[in-house]
Amino acid sequence: MLSDMKNQTATTHGAINFWGRLVNNKVYLIITNTLLATNKSRFFILASLPVFWALFAHLGPILKMIDLSFYNAYPLTIGKEMHYTTDNWTHFFKSSVFYIPFLRTIIFSAILTIVTLILVYPVAYFLARHVPKNKQMLYMMLVLIPFWVGEIVRTYAIMILLGNKGLINMVLRYFDLIDRPIPFMYTNFSLGMGIVYLTSLFMLLPLYSALEKIPHSLGEAASDLGAGAWKRFLRITLPLSKDGIASGCILVFLMSTGFYATPVILGGTSSTMFAETIAGFFHVAADRWPVGAAFSVIMLLSTLTISAIFLKLMGRGSKGLL
Amino acid sequence: MLNKDISRRNILKTTVAASAVLAAPSVWSSAFAEEQVVNIWTYANFIPKDFVKEFQNETGIRIRNRLVYAQGKQFNLLSAEAGKTTVDIVTIAGHRYRQFIDSELIAPVDVNRLKNWSNLNKVYSDADWTVVNGHKWGVPILSGAEVMAYNTNEVSADEARSWDIMFNEKYAGRSALILQDMFSIIMLYLGYDGNMIKYMDDPVKAAAIVNEARDFLIKHKGKARKYYDAGAEIQQMFINEDIVVGHAWSGSISKLIMDGLDVAMTIPKEGSYGFVYNLNVANNAPNADNAYKLLDALLARPEIGAHMTKESGFISTFNGAAKYLTDLEKKAASFTEEELQNLQFFRADANKMKYDLVDPAVEIVKAA
Repeated sequence: MLSDMKNQTATTHGAINFWGRLVNNKVYLIITNTLLATNKSRFFILASLPVFWALFAHLGPILKMIDLSFYNAYPLTIGKEMHYTTDNWTHFFKSSVFYIPFLRTIIFSAILTIVTLILVYPVAYFLARHVPKNKQMLYMMLVLIPFWVGEIVRTYAIMILLGNKGLINMVLRYFDLIDRPIPFMYTNFSLGMGIVYLTSLFMLLPLYSALEKIPHSLGEAASDLGAGAWKRFLRITLPLSKDGIASGCILVFLMSTGFYATPVILGGTSSTMFAETIAGFFHVAADRWPVGAAFSVIMLLSTLTISAIFLKLMGRGSKGLL
Repeated sequence: MLNKDISRRNILKTTVAASAVLAAPSVWSSAFAEEQVVNIWTYANFIPKDFVKEFQNETGIRIRNRLVYAQGKQFNLLSAEAGKTTVDIVTIAGHRYRQFIDSELIAPVDVNRLKNWSNLNKVYSDADWTVVNGHKWGVPILSGAEVMAYNTNEVSADEARSWDIMFNEKYAGRSALILQDMFSIIMLYLGYDGNMIKYMDDPVKAAAIVNEARDFLIKHKGKARKYYDAGAEIQQMFINEDIVVGHAWSGSISKLIMDGLDVAMTIPKEGSYGFVYNLNVANNAPNADNAYKLLDALLARPEIGAHMTKESGFISTFNGAAKYLTDLEKKAASFTEEELQNLQFFRADANKMKYDLVDPAVEIVKAA
C-alpha cells in the first residue's frame, strides 16, 4: 500500500516527477535515514521548528531588549561611545514621574479585567449553555465579526460612537435629553470602553471553552436535590469555569497593560499609560532607547509576577471550592 | 537518472540554491539602492499625488514615500540606520538642523545640482539659518507656525487675541495642545525667550524657567482635553467639536479652513514661533542622484508649490506660488501684518540645553 502510494507520488502520467527524483535521491535517503532513525531524533526534528520559532521570534527580542537596557545610549550619536550601565534601571525608582503611570496602568488594567469578566461572562454562559450545540458555531461567528478588523479601526469605531458628534450624543440631542454634548471622549471612560471592547474576545473564548465542557447533568442533579439557580451557579458552574476565568483574566490583563495606540487615540490628559511613557523614550529625539528598554523589561517582569500570583491564588481557590 | 550518484552538477545546484537563500536579505536590502527609486520620509500631503505620478511617468524613477509625523522619529530612525541608511530624502524643520548635522545624518545640499534653485523665495533660500558650518543643508519647501486655532461659532476673534483662553475656566475641557511644542510658547507667554538662547550661559536660570513653564502646565492640566501629537488628531477634534480652541501647526488648521469648517487661526499677542520644513538629502543616501532629480523637479514650477500648499495647508516657499491659489486658500494659509509682528522663528542655537530640560518636563506634566 505504502509502496503504491510512493509510486503514485513518484510518477505523473508515467513520467518521474520532482518528488519521485527526491525520494530516490541518495543524499536525501542518507539524510532522512540518519535523522529519522530513532524516536529521539524524530522528536528533535519535530520540535526543532517550534523551538526555533520560540527562541528567535519571542525570546530573542526580549533578550535583545534586556541587553539594550544596559547600554549607556542608543542609537549612538557622533562622539559617544557605548558602555554598559545600570543607570537606566535605577532611573525608574528615582522619580514618581515614572512609577505613577506604571501604577496607574497596573490598577487600571486590573479594574478593566474585572469589568471585562463581568460583562463577558453572561455572553459566554449564554453561548455555551443555552444556544443549541448545532447553532453555537454560528453564534460564535456573529460575535467574532467585529474582530475581523484591526485594533486601530475598532478604536476609531469607539471614537465615532463616543465623540461629541458621535452616535450617543446625537441620539441624546435628538430627543432633547441634553443641551450640550456629554464629553465621553478623551477620558478614562472612553479609554476603558475601548480596551474592554478590544480585549473581550480574549475573555470570551477561554470562558466559552470552560463553560461548554461542564456536563448539563451536574446542574440537573443539583436541581433534583433542591438547589436553586443561583446556588447551582455558585456551587457548580462558577467553580468549574475557573480555568476559563483564570486564562481569560490573564490574557486580558497582559494585553491591557501593553496597549499603546488605544490610549493615544482615546485617552485624555490624565490617563497616560505606561506604554506611552515607554514609547516617549523611543520617539523623542534623543538616544534614550535604553531607558525605554529597561522600563519595558520592568513592565514585563511586573505583569508576569502579578499573573503568576493571580494563577496561584486561583489554583488554591479552585481546590477549596471543589 | 533516478539512481544517479551525487554529481558535481547536483552539488553546484545545491550550492547555488543555498547561496541564493543566504544572500536574500542582502538582495532585499540593496533593493533600496535600485537605480530607478528614490526613498523619501515626509509628512502626510507634503508631496502632491499628481506630482508623484507626473515625476514617475517622466523619469521612470519610483517614489517610495514613508510618512512620518515627528522630527524625533526621523532622528531616531536615521540614527538607528547610521552608516547603512535606506532613505534618500528626509524632511527636517530648519530649527532641528543642527541635531541632524552634528550626528552626521544629513549631507550638505549641492545647490549647483539644482538648476531650479532660483525659483525659491530668497526670504527662505538665503535665510541665515539655512547655513550651518559654512554649508547649506536643505531645500526649504513649506513654512508654518505654531498657532492658536478656534471654533468661530464658540470663540470670538477678540477672545482669541491671547493664549489666556487656553487656560481659563470658560473653555475648560475643550482645548488641546502639543505638549512639547507648547513649552516654548508658555515660556514666551510668561515673558521669557522660548528659544532659550538668552540663557545659554546661565543653565540654572534656564532650568528654573522650564520648571516654571512645567508647573504652569500642571496647574492648568485639567483645562486641556487632550495632549496630541499629529496634525490629523486636532483636525478630527475640531470636526467632531470635541474642542473649541487649541494649539496647532498652521498647516493642519489651514486645511480645515480651506475645507469650509468654521475654524480660524491666529498668532496671539504674547507671540508664537514659525518654522520652515526642508527636504534634506540623507548622508550616504543610496540614490542621491535620484534625490537631486526629485528635488529639482519639485522646484521646477510654482504650480507645484501651490499644490503643496493646497494639500498640506502650509505656506509654499516658491516664488509665484500664491498666483495659483484661490482667495480662500490664500486667506487660509496666511496671517495679518499685526499677527506676523507677534511671530518669530524657532532657533536651534540652544536646542541641546533646551530639550535636555524640556523632554523630562514633558514626562512630568503627563504623569502629574
